[in-house]
Amino acid sequence: MRALRAGRLLFAKDLRVLGRSRGLVAVLIGYPIVIAILLAIALSGGDRRPAVAFVNLDAASGRTVQVGDERLSIEDYATRLEDDVDLVRLGPAQAREALEDGRVSAVLTVPRGFIADLQSGLRPPVLRLATNPRSPIEAQAIERNLESAVYRLNQALATAYVTQVLDLVDLIQDGGTVGIFGRSGTLLGLAQSDRELRRVQAQLRRDDRPGLADRLDPLRDYIQGVGSNLELAKPAAQAIASPIRLEVREGAPGREPLSALGIAGALVVGIGLVGVLLAAALLSAEREDHVLSRLGRGLAGAGTIVAQKALLAAIACTAVGFVLLGVVALTTSVTVGRWLLWLPALLLAGLASGAFGLLIGALARETRTALLAGLMLALPLAVIALIPGNDIAYWASALAGFGPAARTFQGLLVDPEVTASTYAGMGVMAVVALVYGVAAGVALRRRMHA
Amino acid sequence: MAGPLLHARGIECRYGSVQALAPMDLQINAGERIALTGPNGAGKTTLLSVLAGVRRPDDGTLEWAHAAHGRVGWVPQRPALYPRLTVRENLRLFAGLEGSDDPRAAADALIARADLGQFADRRASALSTGTMQRLNLAIALAGSPSLLLLDEPTGTLSPDQRVRLWEWLAHLVQDDGMSLVFSTQSTEEAGRNADRVLVLAGGTLRHDGPAGQLDEAAFMAMVGDDA
Repeated sequence: MRALRAGRLLFAKDLRVLGRSRGLVAVLIGYPIVIAILLAIALSGGDRRPAVAFVNLDAASGRTVQVGDERLSIEDYATRLEDDVDLVRLGPAQAREALEDGRVSAVLTVPRGFIADLQSGLRPPVLRLATNPRSPIEAQAIERNLESAVYRLNQALATAYVTQVLDLVDLIQDGGTVGIFGRSGTLLGLAQSDRELRRVQAQLRRDDRPGLADRLDPLRDYIQGVGSNLELAKPAAQAIASPIRLEVREGAPGREPLSALGIAGALVVGIGLVGVLLAAALLSAEREDHVLSRLGRGLAGAGTIVAQKALLAAIACTAVGFVLLGVVALTTSVTVGRWLLWLPALLLAGLASGAFGLLIGALARETRTALLAGLMLALPLAVIALIPGNDIAYWASALAGFGPAARTFQGLLVDPEVTASTYAGMGVMAVVALVYGVAAGVALRRRMHA
Repeated sequence: MAGPLLHARGIECRYGSVQALAPMDLQINAGERIALTGPNGAGKTTLLSVLAGVRRPDDGTLEWAHAAHGRVGWVPQRPALYPRLTVRENLRLFAGLEGSDDPRAAADALIARADLGQFADRRASALSTGTMQRLNLAIALAGSPSLLLLDEPTGTLSPDQRVRLWEWLAHLVQDDGMSLVFSTQSTEEAGRNADRVLVLAGGTLRHDGPAGQLDEAAFMAMVGDDA
């Protein structure tokens, strides 16, 4: 009963002190919110365009390839690739150096004989991509970007080739001048051949040579058959050019789009920093005000002080969390629901990060040290928590409860049904809060009676 | 002088391998004013911390007279208060923590007793050193102690502030009959404001006698190279 009363009095005191420390509150709460919003925008923003070195080893050939009415060079290829990445034209050695130094994310090399391969059609032309093994996530993103760019190029080329083939089919059917794969000439055409045959048959019959005219009938049947079959080949050729077509329909215009990862990231960073910094500052301030020795004489035990400050940090984190969710709900097209589940999730995340901050506050000698240590530990752990699908990152960030918080928040935002892993995440946060709370209590008790 | 208030038996303190306080026995009587003096590192603050219950002794026991059990007011060397709270809010908070049924009334009584009326609604951080020390003392009185322990209470005060503080403390002892144990590095201050003087050096009790018996020469002889 006495502990409850002491906790209540110290809680009210902390609120009053915070109310009178606007600069400190601005730093402890405003700064994390600003960082969280910037992070949400960064994580949800448009495609990032990586810089890719472009090495053209086929430049000396100066060759181009005729596709339909267009004559394409490697530069035309490069220009089309620039829709997806920022190309930096470099020599092979410079490109290798730039990749090692991290100035470019990958090197795209056009080997010698590329245009010749494209022109001959004897073997498929190859582009070579070298990525930085130290940035596997970025390498994957660039691979996907370039695969999609090469796919679109291939599709454009295939369409041009098929158009050219269809033109050739028309030429075979109707006759005319032909120029393809570097060859040219004049074709009579099936229709004209058929007309010529008819004329010859009519002449033979007029010359009273019907037997000879009849012998030309199978040739006319053959010409007509070829013409019909070629007509059928046209849609088949078009189907080969684009066997499956993806039709993209734009949805109704939404407000500023934010991804679930962006929102979860903003919440983890916002709550993580508020909880850690606020709790660390509140506890270290007790030491800086020299009141611990007074409180330690039976007025308020270490457990009471830790519990009251963890609760205050958790309430502040919950408030910040709901403010961020409210901003998301009001200003974006993302639907935020499950408000009753958000309450324990945000409270537990606040308790976990608050308890982590309390341990830092109990160990630090002064408030500035506690804040600096809190920031240095919390910020990287919160960012690590946002790396998707990596167990090491998850458990490293779970040290401060951030990993489970990120998964729980994403689950609440996107999972069609609340799963066991969401509740498991809350359970891990509760355990983290308990472990750090007990550790902070032990450290504080030592400080009080040192 | 009334009977014993507190009896410390064989109390001993160590900081790691360093012995801060050698085993010692000490009796404090009701209404007695005791000065603890000695050079830096003598063990004065450690002894006061043990008596205040801030630090647990590594060995030995503290035996309180039944009626006075635990009623200790602790005045640490540096003011232990909340600078962003006003004088009144600080006193109300600590009165509440001490278990007062009516912290508001208790704070008002302490303000009157410490003559802090004109500063009552001023933040502690805005007080002068002397006034802040009076608030530090008033907070220690919030638990209505029978024993007041003060760690170098005048160390940061000007000469006239020291005089006013000792006059006030003298009234407290006289009016309430509380015992007083304070540490000081000044033998003169010890002699003038105490009934009994203890001299500590190197964690050992070198002298325990009436205040009049100790002069500067005798003190230097006791503490020797530790001074």
